[in-house]
Amino acid sequence: MNTFYRNRKRNQNRPLSIIARYLFIFLWSLTLSAVVLAAAADDMILIPAGTFTMGSDTRAADEKPMHKVYLDAYYIGKYEVTNAEYYEFWKQQSDAARTPENFSHLPQIGDWPARAAQFPNHPIVGISWHDANAYAVWKGMRLPTEAEWEKAARGYTNRIWPWGNAIEPYANTDADDDGYQHRIAPVGSFPKGKSYYGVMDMAGNVWEWTADWYSDVYYGYSSQAAAKRPKKNPTGPDVGSWRVLRGGSWIDKIARCSTTFRFYLYPNLKTSFVGFRLAKTAQKTTK
Amino acid sequence: MRNLFTIAIALWLCVSFFSVAEENRGDHSRHVQHVEQGFVFMFQGSNQKAISEFEAALALEPDHAEVLHYLGMAYAQQQFWNQAAENYQRSLALMPNNIEALYSLGVVYFKLDKWEDAVPVLEQVVELSPQHARGYEVLGKSLVKLRRYAEAVPILTKALALKPNAAGTYYELGMARLNLKEYTAAIENFKQALTFGPARYAEPHYGLGMAYLRLGEREKSRTEMQIYQQLQKEFAEYERLTRLTRAEPNNLEAWTGLATMLMNRKNYGQAVQAFQKCIEFAPNDATFHHGLSRAFMNLNYPKHAAQAAKRAIQLRPNQAILYNTLGSVYAMQGDPKNALVAFQKAVQLDGEQPYYHLNLSKLYQSLGNPKLAQEHYRAYEHFLSEQKAKPK
Repeated sequence: MNTFYRNRKRNQNRPLSIIARYLFIFLWSLTLSAVVLAAAADDMILIPAGTFTMGSDTRAADEKPMHKVYLDAYYIGKYEVTNAEYYEFWKQQSDAARTPENFSHLPQIGDWPARAAQFPNHPIVGISWHDANAYAVWKGMRLPTEAEWEKAARGYTNRIWPWGNAIEPYANTDADDDGYQHRIAPVGSFPKGKSYYGVMDMAGNVWEWTADWYSDVYYGYSSQAAAKRPKKNPTGPDVGSWRVLRGGSWIDKIARCSTTFRFYLYPNLKTSFVGFRLAKTAQKTTK
Repeated sequence: MRNLFTIAIALWLCVSFFSVAEENRGDHSRHVQHVEQGFVFMFQGSNQKAISEFEAALALEPDHAEVLHYLGMAYAQQQFWNQAAENYQRSLALMPNNIEALYSLGVVYFKLDKWEDAVPVLEQVVELSPQHARGYEVLGKSLVKLRRYAEAVPILTKALALKPNAAGTYYELGMARLNLKEYTAAIENFKQALTFGPARYAEPHYGLGMAYLRLGEREKSRTEMQIYQQLQKEFAEYERLTRLTRAEPNNLEAWTGLATMLMNRKNYGQAVQAFQKCIEFAPNDATFHHGLSRAFMNLNYPKHAAQAAKRAIQLRPNQAILYNTLGSVYAMQGDPKNALVAFQKAVQLDGEQPYYHLNLSKLYQSLGNPKLAQEHYRAYEHFLSEQKAKPK
C-alpha cells in the first residue's frame, strides 16, 4: 500500500518534473548559446576608424616611408583561426585542395585531420592563401589588409612589437626563453604580448596571410598622393606574385616579428609557420 | 583452386596498390620536410644548406614552379648566377608570366652582363606590373650598359617616381645624362645620389668630377675626383679587412679595424657582429663593449645598448664617455632620471667635453628646468669654441 502510494505520487508529479526538466534544458541551451555568441563577439575586436602611422623610416627598405593611413572602422580576430575552427569548415568541403598540409616530420604539429583533435586551440597551419581566403568567405568575413593588420598590431603608437619597444619573451619566436621551443603555442598563450587594442599573438607563433599583394615600393607610391592627406583604406597593389605575411613565427628571430616587418610568399604555399586571422568591415552607424 | 588463385592475385594487387600509395605519401611528406627546412635555412642566411634542401625536395616532386624560384633565389644569394638562371627558367616554363620570377631572371642576366637578354625580360615585368620599381630600375641600368642612354632616361625617371630615394638609380640616371651631354641635369642627379646614398658612397663623386670637367669647372672636378679616390681607397681597405676576417677569423686586429670601419659606414647591424667577435677574443676590453653599445643604440635596441654600456663602465668606471653613452641610452628609453645621473657623472669626470654639457642641457630642457638647461648650453658653447681654437 505504502509502495503503491509512493509510486502513484511519483507518477502524479511526473508532468511537472518533465516540464521542469525541459525548462531547465531550454534555459541552459539559451545560456550556452548566449555564452557562445558572446564569446564569438568577443573574438572579434573593433578597431575604431581613424588615422595611424604605417611603416618605418629606420628599419627595412620596404617599410619606408613612414606614412599616415586612414582606415574605416573594422573588426579583427582577437586570435588566429584555430585547428578546431578550420576543421568545421574543412569537413563541409568537397574540394580536396582545402585540406591542410601534413607535417609528419614535425610530430608537435602533426598530420591533418588528427591534429585538429590533438591540438584544437593551435592556430591552423599548412593552408595556402587561397584556403585562408575561402575560409574567411565561408565565415562571411575576409582577410585583413596589410594596413588593417598593422594598425591592429601597433595601435596609435609606434610600437616595435605589439606590447612595446623592449625585447621581452611575450611571443613565440625561435628564442629559448618563451616556453615553446620548436613548436607552435595554443592561441592566446601570451597575454602580456597583446596589442594596444587587445589583439593576441600578433608577434610570433605563426605568420599571418593578409589580403594584399606584395610590392616593396607600395608604401612609397601609395603615400605620394597622400602627402597632403592620409591614404584611405589602402588595399595593396593590383597585381603581384607574392602575398604579404605579417607577424613572424615560431621559427623566426624576434626582429622579424615586429609590427612593421613585411614578409611575402607564393599564395599556393602551405607551410608549418603560416596561418591567418579574420577581419570584417564594421557597419557604419548613422545618427 | 582457381578461386584461391584469384584471391591471391587480388590480394597482391591490393598490397601493391597500397604500398605504392604509401610510398607516394612518404615521398610527398619528405618533399614537404625538405621545402620547410629550405625555408628555415634561407631565413637564417644559410643559402648553401637551403639549396641542398630545395634540390632534395625537387628530386621528389620536380614540377614545383614556386620551389624552383626559391632555389634560384638561394643560388643567386650565393652569386651562382648560371644555376640561378637555369632554375628561374624552369620555374617560368611551369608558371609563365610570373612577375617575380621574370624579374629575378632579368637581374641574373644583368649580373651575367647579358644586357641584351635582360632588356626584353624586364620589359615584360613592367608591362605586367606597371608599378614594379625594381623592374624599371634594372631595365634602366641594362639600357645604360647597352649605351641606349636616351631610352634609359625615361625608364629610370619612372623608377624614381615609384621609388624616390633610390641612390643607385639617381647615379645611373646621372651617367645616362652625362653621356647625353646634359651635364647640369647629370650634376643634379649625382648630388641626389649622394643625398640618398649610403655613407661613403664613392661613384657619384666620380660622376660629378666628370660632369664638372666637361663644364670646364676644373677646380670642382679635381676636388670631386680626390674624394672619389679617397673613398675608393677606404672601400679597398674595408674589403681587405672583410677578406682578412674571413681568412683569419681569430685576428682581433682585423676585427677591430672592421668594426670601426662598419661604424663609420653606418652599417650598424654588421658592426654589432664585429664588436661581438672582438668581445669574444678580449672580453675585458671596455672599448668593444662601448662600441657594441653605440651600434645597438643606432639600431634602436636600447635594452641591449644599456647592457653593453653598463658592462663597459664595470670595466672602466672612470671613463666619462661611457657614462655619456649610458645617459643617451636611458634618454632613448624615456628614463630621464637615470639619464640625468649618467650625464652628470660624465660631466663630473670630464667637464670640458662640450657634448656632455649639450646632452645635459637638452635633458634639463625636457625636464622643465630652463635655468640649468641654459647654464649647460653656455658651457657647451664655451668648450666648443675652446676646442675649435686649439691647434690640431
